[in-house]
Amino acid sequence: MTPVADTSELPSRTSMLRRLAEERAGGVLERSTGLLYLVDGRVVHAESEAATALGQLVVGSGRLAKADWDEALERCGGDSRRAADHLVKDGQLADGALELCRLTALFDAAYFALAPGGGAARFRHGVTSEGGLGLSVPADRVLAEVSRRRALLHSLWPGPSMDHHPVVRGRPRPDRPPSVRLRELLDLADGERTPADLARALGRPAFHVLLEVRRLAVAGLVEPPRPPARRPTAPTRTGRSPAARSRAPDGFAAPDIALLQRVRDGLEACL
Amino acid sequence: MINTETALKEAMTGIEGALGAALVDYSSGMALGTLGGNKELDLSVAAAGNTDVVRAKVRTMEMLGLKDEIEDILITLGGQYHLIRLLKSRNNSGLFLYLALDKDRANLAMARHQLKRIEAELDV
Repeated sequence: MTPVADTSELPSRTSMLRRLAEERAGGVLERSTGLLYLVDGRVVHAESEAATALGQLVVGSGRLAKADWDEALERCGGDSRRAADHLVKDGQLADGALELCRLTALFDAAYFALAPGGGAARFRHGVTSEGGLGLSVPADRVLAEVSRRRALLHSLWPGPSMDHHPVVRGRPRPDRPPSVRLRELLDLADGERTPADLARALGRPAFHVLLEVRRLAVAGLVEPPRPPARRPTAPTRTGRSPAARSRAPDGFAAPDIALLQRVRDGLEACL
Repeated sequence: MINTETALKEAMTGIEGALGAALVDYSSGMALGTLGGNKELDLSVAAAGNTDVVRAKVRTMEMLGLKDEIEDILITLGGQYHLIRLLKSRNNSGLFLYLALDKDRANLAMARHQLKRIEAELDV
């Protein structure tokens, strides 16, 4: 676990997007983690496999039945934005509702598209995204929101160790009932679904689920990530004390999570 | 149904004494839209910070076992009112409207009433 969020890659991506915004460039910024489409230097669309798709957000928000979305998508040959526009035209989906879902989807995908570790970025001028352009957001605002989100995640639980692994429920805490939103998430955590799977199943932005999984881990309702397996210790003939033997090669014993939680509860009770 | 921009414009022009308005997603603390605000009142910062207020209140209610919903939250400062209205319909769960008002010019009862109306229109 690294103590500080990896920001080493950020300056280059940030400066590239800033420069493109200043040039009022149009085209697509490509990274292995996702795509950002620009028109006149403003972000008009973002895509990432890690993010929850527009259709899932629309259905998940309760604004439309899944069957209606699937039907519209089929009619539009799988183009989700055209399908959404048709639904608005037909009066099945409100304009404002779609606007909120689009904005949510854009920031969700942009977060992953600009994530550290996504490799080099390249820009292809003149490439436009398919479908109608629903909205546009200044690049500065996207960058500010992405770094705010990264800091928010980091402040809850440092390191991305929980982001890609199946979510495993912890011991229930009758004294600390989780909120309705968190309970819905816990109900679906079957020990196989990753945060991204949970986000799709719930129709919520993937970033929100990353955030909530970390909150649940802090509350002890989700198992914290397991420390990497330790090498089996050599037969104990070295004469070291038992305390020293129980330590990992880096000199630190694995933390006793249950004990730490009891300590934290005790401290909170004193406040 | 009206869109975000229209809803915020209505809040800013229709509510006497409004200094700034924002529509905020309280899972992430992101402002989906802001209008107004100034150097003293950064609405993006206010949105993120007030998310914690809403989360704390929701959690407290659940711990107390209150089977009720938060309609709005009022924070009274020396010179301002800050009004938080949770959009609690099925379709808008997870969002709140945030409104900062000038205490000398605002009529609190009217502001709450108008915010309620805007919420209803923002809904489907």
